[in-house]
Amino acid sequence: MTDFDCDAVIIGSGPGGATAAEVLTAAGWSVIVLEKGRNHLISLDAPHEPLRHFANDEIAAHRRFFFGPDPLLEPRTYRRTEADGDRIATGEVNNLPSTVGGGGVHADAKLPRFLEEDFALRTTRGPIDGAEVEDWPISYEDVEPHYTAVEQLFGVAGEDGANPFAAWRSAPYPLPPGPDMPMAVVTSAAAERAGLHPYRAPTGINSVHADGRPACTDCGYCGGYGCPVQAKNDPIAALQRALRTGRCEIRPESYVTDIVRDASGTRATGVRYLDLTHHPDPPAREVRARHAVVLAAGAFETPRLLLRQGLGGDLVGRFLTYHYQTFTVGIFERDTEGERGRSVTHLHDDLMIDTPEMRAVAAAAGLPWVKGGVVEHGSGHMPVEESTTYPTGELHLPAMVDSALRRRFWVFTMQGEDLPQAANRVDLDPSVRDVWGFPAGRVTYAPHRHELVASAHAGPLHEAILRDAGALAAFTATSPPQGDLDLHAVANPLGIAPASKHVMGTARMGSDPAASVVSPEQRLWDCDNVVVCDSSVFVTSTGYNPTLTLAALAHRAATLLVGGHA
Amino acid sequence: MTEASTTGFSEDWRAAVAAALDAAVPGSVELGALVYVERLLTALDRDPPRIWAAPGRWDGPFGSPAADEPAWLELGPWERQAWAERIAGYRATYDRVADGAATEDDLRQVHHHASEATYGDPAYGGNRGGGGWARIGFPEPQYPPARSDPVELRVDRGVRPR
Repeated sequence: MTDFDCDAVIIGSGPGGATAAEVLTAAGWSVIVLEKGRNHLISLDAPHEPLRHFANDEIAAHRRFFFGPDPLLEPRTYRRTEADGDRIATGEVNNLPSTVGGGGVHADAKLPRFLEEDFALRTTRGPIDGAEVEDWPISYEDVEPHYTAVEQLFGVAGEDGANPFAAWRSAPYPLPPGPDMPMAVVTSAAAERAGLHPYRAPTGINSVHADGRPACTDCGYCGGYGCPVQAKNDPIAALQRALRTGRCEIRPESYVTDIVRDASGTRATGVRYLDLTHHPDPPAREVRARHAVVLAAGAFETPRLLLRQGLGGDLVGRFLTYHYQTFTVGIFERDTEGERGRSVTHLHDDLMIDTPEMRAVAAAAGLPWVKGGVVEHGSGHMPVEESTTYPTGELHLPAMVDSALRRRFWVFTMQGEDLPQAANRVDLDPSVRDVWGFPAGRVTYAPHRHELVASAHAGPLHEAILRDAGALAAFTATSPPQGDLDLHAVANPLGIAPASKHVMGTARMGSDPAASVVSPEQRLWDCDNVVVCDSSVFVTSTGYNPTLTLAALAHRAATLLVGGHA
Repeated sequence: MTEASTTGFSEDWRAAVAAALDAAVPGSVELGALVYVERLLTALDRDPPRIWAAPGRWDGPFGSPAADEPAWLELGPWERQAWAERIAGYRATYDRVADGAATEDDLRQVHHHASEATYGDPAYGGNRGGGGWARIGFPEPQYPPARSDPVELRVDRGVRPR
């Protein structure tokens, strides 16, 4: 036995950590994956079959913190700007699942690639006052082989050539698209009549039996739920492959407190963590890693750990981006049949594209350019959530039977590109702590005017499309909400903090150590065997779901780590 | 109508809580809302706690004996701590309801629990026989999910002309 427990220790078992584990173990490295949350995903004993803890159960998934984190144990705080004081909300802020599999467990697995332009936005579109729009230090060409690799790993189901704006690709989608949601066909037709270009969403869910798991049954419990039949491939596919090499160990309920460094402070030798299987005094344990620490805790927890450690420099936590979400809701006379399907089956990208129409929107607002985001055609409400939004008393049952917000409901969700701003950040709350005594993460976030302009353009356009599709009424809302904060704090089911689960940018990648946290190889500038493998490294948020790209970047970084070609 | 208590709550307490639940979501008590609340408040008295129903044991018809005896997933020790704190808060809420001193926040919590009890999984004690889903036409979830029912087959074919 050597002085080391493994070749690499990986912090976090979500799509980034799982992908890194798959690459490293395939190259012969031994890895230990430390996951703060509990394991409901996969047996840790060979042959590592699914645990089958997931059910179509709205109460467990959405009312009882089944996926964690429990805000009573791990509160987060939020404020819009420093002018709000220390915080205006405490509790749940952008909580992604804290469980083996991370955010991949609950997501409905929309996995689009970014566009070529997304890696060079400052060059193609130019700067905007008040934002730090920069090019990425790597190009689409650098990432493309890794997109292809993780699409294969996750079994992405998609339709080649369907999206006229899509970037080039070196290989077809590994699986054909799954069945359409009926209403998405209707709203896609209306979008086409408006001159838009909807397409079937690339999705990391089996459309046919593949990789030992069944095809999706379109049971309807997709976004926000763990898949009972493991038709979702991300990240169970990567974790299962890593475990089956015999060189991967997953340790759930392991809360990393420190990145241990050598005397120079510039090389990590492992991590210390609390063993949360013990209560109330969890023992501290240590994992010693021969080569590297892979930090894949997500764009909220990664900067929180780095800030506690004094690692990464002054920019850690800054340039926090979400997707500024614009929800345009249509209420139809017909049943929209949203209770079946994969939550979203169609997208359109048109508002992200540099068109004369979008240039006119920008010019009217006095901005050099405006970029919206991918628009998801979907449904989503479950009956408990719907019930909590309706009045109590005698009006309740008629509202539930009429079901404007579930059975007759359809929504366009624009995941609007959120410009990076230095003032938007994750830092450590000065007084709120988690149950283990560590400072809570705090979000300071307010959208740039660019996001508001894009949203204001998207709302009326999408309302008109939904009316053309047959909606009796249509309206638009955003997250974070605009307007009377007190009203939203009580009545808005999405709350006052950004509801987006797409969190990015808090350990920015760059070529200049003075202007970034990690190198183009995703290594901390000040401790270069710490490799960040999550969406913290994003330079811009783009308007696309981040998971495929963060996994592709993890694939690239891990490949470089083991000496492979990027 | 409320059922006989097996949980040690007084009849006055139960009557007041039932009235509040029914005021929030009419018909919820008939569907088991009071049982839902009592099970929630005593969830940690069982091992595993009755917080997260396990799939696979309640796959019979809703309201069958099997539905009354679901399996439960284990909580971790820190999750137990959080749930003990949360349930203590719920208990204080319902004590204020029973005392006629409910706050606006309390009534919002009652609304949420009545919603969970009426439209959530029957394993938790409410939505008896899937009756809450039936009254709004919501399809009962299957475990394990399967592509077999008419709605799913319609999805397979894509949209239908209307």
